[in-house]
Amino acid sequence: MSHGHHSMELKPEAIRLAENSTWRKLPMIAGIIGLASLAATMGLAGDDPKGALLSYLTALMFVISIGVGASFFVTIQFLTRAGWSVVVRRLMENLMAPLFLFIVLFIPILLNLDVIYKWTNPELQNPDSPYFDYLAVVKAPYLNESFFTGRSIFYLVALAAIGWFFYSRSTGQDESGDKEVTRKLQFLSAPAIMILALVSTFAAVDWVMTLDFHWFSTIFGVYWFAGSFLVALCTTILLVLGLKKSGLLDGVVTVEHYHDLGKLTFGFVVFWTYIAFSQYFLIWYANIPETTMWFGLRLDGTWSGASVLLALGHFVIPFAFLMPRTLKRIPLTLGIAAAWLVFMHYLDMYWLIMPTAHPEGPQPGLIDLTALLGVGGLYFAVFGWALGRRALIPEKDPRLPESLAFENF
Amino acid sequence: MSAQVMDNAAYDPVDGRSPLVLGAKDFHEITEIVAAPMEWKLPKAWFIALGFSLSLLGLLAVSVGYLVWEGTGIWGLNSPVNWGWAIVNFVFWVGIGHAGTLISAILFLFRQKWRTSINRFAEAMTIFAVACALIFPTIHVGRVWVIWWALPFPNQMDMWVNFRSPLLWDVFAVSVYGTVSALFWYTGLIPDLATMRDRAKNRIAQVMYGIFAIGWRGSNRHWQHYEKAYLILAGISTPLVLSVHTIVSFDFAVSQLPGWHTTIFPPYFVAGAIFSGFAMVLTLMIPARKLFGLERLVTVRHFENMAKIILLTGMLVGYAYAMEFFIAWYSGVIYEQYAFVNRAVGPYAWAYWIMIACNVISPQLFWFKKLRTNLWVLWIVSIFVNIGMWFERFVITVTSLHRDFMPSSWGYYSPTFWDVATFIGSFGLFFTLFTLFVRFLPIVAIAEVKTVMPEADPHYHPPEDGTAAEGGKH
Repeated sequence: MSHGHHSMELKPEAIRLAENSTWRKLPMIAGIIGLASLAATMGLAGDDPKGALLSYLTALMFVISIGVGASFFVTIQFLTRAGWSVVVRRLMENLMAPLFLFIVLFIPILLNLDVIYKWTNPELQNPDSPYFDYLAVVKAPYLNESFFTGRSIFYLVALAAIGWFFYSRSTGQDESGDKEVTRKLQFLSAPAIMILALVSTFAAVDWVMTLDFHWFSTIFGVYWFAGSFLVALCTTILLVLGLKKSGLLDGVVTVEHYHDLGKLTFGFVVFWTYIAFSQYFLIWYANIPETTMWFGLRLDGTWSGASVLLALGHFVIPFAFLMPRTLKRIPLTLGIAAAWLVFMHYLDMYWLIMPTAHPEGPQPGLIDLTALLGVGGLYFAVFGWALGRRALIPEKDPRLPESLAFENF
Repeated sequence: MSAQVMDNAAYDPVDGRSPLVLGAKDFHEITEIVAAPMEWKLPKAWFIALGFSLSLLGLLAVSVGYLVWEGTGIWGLNSPVNWGWAIVNFVFWVGIGHAGTLISAILFLFRQKWRTSINRFAEAMTIFAVACALIFPTIHVGRVWVIWWALPFPNQMDMWVNFRSPLLWDVFAVSVYGTVSALFWYTGLIPDLATMRDRAKNRIAQVMYGIFAIGWRGSNRHWQHYEKAYLILAGISTPLVLSVHTIVSFDFAVSQLPGWHTTIFPPYFVAGAIFSGFAMVLTLMIPARKLFGLERLVTVRHFENMAKIILLTGMLVGYAYAMEFFIAWYSGVIYEQYAFVNRAVGPYAWAYWIMIACNVISPQLFWFKKLRTNLWVLWIVSIFVNIGMWFERFVITVTSLHRDFMPSSWGYYSPTFWDVATFIGSFGLFFTLFTLFVRFLPIVAIAEVKTVMPEADPHYHPPEDGTAAEGGKH
């Protein structure tokens, strides 16, 4: 806690991108990479449209989870009237702003439900067909293309609306410094979190869990939430470190904020593990065929390597690595942990989705990379636009002084 | 810029915050407020409370004695409901035992300074609740005198415990939790015990407080060690508090029984435990604050914060109820679907709807500031939550069992007199320990509360006119 001698004068060059800053090129570079990669993804799809669409879905679920995690972060900061996090909140808000993109980016999925999702096959409903599936029949009121599409549009619009609302209101405060804005966002954060919780739960269930429509798990929504929050934190850490490297945020984001972000990351590594373990352990122990087969696919044969890597890389290694206080306070080590966990979260999404395409084992290919660069490129192009448009921090937030002076003790 | 501007516990730039300590002149006054009840001449009311608690404790002794003599047949257990009130009460008490550690450890790690006025009280409640919880599985084994068979150690009978059973994990989880909670509580007590030692007016009190203060003199070195120990214990307790109710949930969730086997059980049980624990803190704290004149230390702001946590955890529990229902339908498994429909409309529907009304609907009142700052509303809702959380465990345990896979073995479970007597008796143990606690130990952490006062800041300047500072009121 500061003892009152901190200078509150913010250097404008520390909190705003210079006209000639390399960061200003982000929208263009990322946008070009994104569009080119999406075109390449289409070209690479070739004669395996299902594999291509699932690679694309993996990229979508990975990138959208950054925006969803950021939305949870920002709304929780408002709900709890948090002070320490104000200097990093704007980056999270900039990560919320591009959520509207997914309304467009999901169109290829929604137009090809019959390629991706087995439950769309009408043969499953036909009692005379050899493919007749009792579960497809009883789940039909929920798992049918029109209801599924309607729900998906609802999730996407809700996420876009929450993302844009918090982004635009918070940036709107930059000039006026009106405390009413903070008050209003605090008030709206509670319903926003409730909507986010429901939307992210059912989006994860619909888009990912129903890939194997026989399988079910009540904790699945929480699992996806845990990974999303973690990847949003790690992305923010990497962005902060990148901006600092360019000489920005000098004297604004300090080692104390690294430390807190590191602690939260550590906490969410454990939380993700707790949820993942609960899901795995209970299914393994009860050993009911309907639910074990999902893990069976991932633990047998060549997918077992990915599962082991996930257990080690998403839990054991970062858990040990992020434990010491020092490593959370050194930019290099914190950055390594964050980058590693971003990669692990991608692996997690890959592990959830891709066994549907390649039950015989992982087949990472160029198309996975182009899909990721395509979705990620467009997402970070919008992020880059938001970054240059306003200050890098909410410069008139009433709690900013507390955040600037924040110290762990 | 004054130090208070930085200290968000005292000052909020948007709406202002009422101070955590109301109108205390100086540090010494805090000591006086907390220590006074321990130095009063014993009031009649205390003896009445102790007598009442002891009589309930007697009921427990009789119930347990008769159980040991006669066997678990005195309870309403029967096939197919082989787990009844004993397990319900066990989970109920363990759940209540979660708030203390949450307040002491997790809120500490999250720098929530408001915890200092309520943590001692809540931790004591935790330990007493864990003691009550341990009674039930212990007496449920039937032959209580061989309960040590639950511990794994080499013996001449070549008996070995079943490590695959979650009931055994419970033995470890709850006993470790009880131990660490007690250590955490005791560590926090040491500086205050020394205060009591130094204030003691009679020799016996001085010696007793002195022994338990283990030579605390308040030196700089003592404080440094103390704070390090406290942080480490908070770090250890945090995963521990989550693990306990997780393992309790495994008692049910590792089975294949519809209504028990569901993957959301671990976090759902933990949320429910925090929910019920905070409700019990409110139930006890609201009257205790009045009786012991703690209104300036435990303020409406503290109650409001607790109400918000109750609202949050109540909705987490509601989320879990909803997911269970949705996935039961979605699974397409007729047994799953039946188990949940039967909960809502079957013979135990009354219990299910009590649970929903108390746990999901009643906390919704806390959306309104007027209601969550009204002590009567807080107290009544806290009672509802206590009731609702007991019924939650009843619903989980009994409704899932009473309709077996074979309709020929379906049955309806009712408790006997002894089930009820044992449960009421366990409140006797809880209240007896509490009555003794409020008399002999400082029920608010004296040393910790002082650290959240504006005066604790090394750069604090008292106001010019010499009046007491009320942090934040500018």
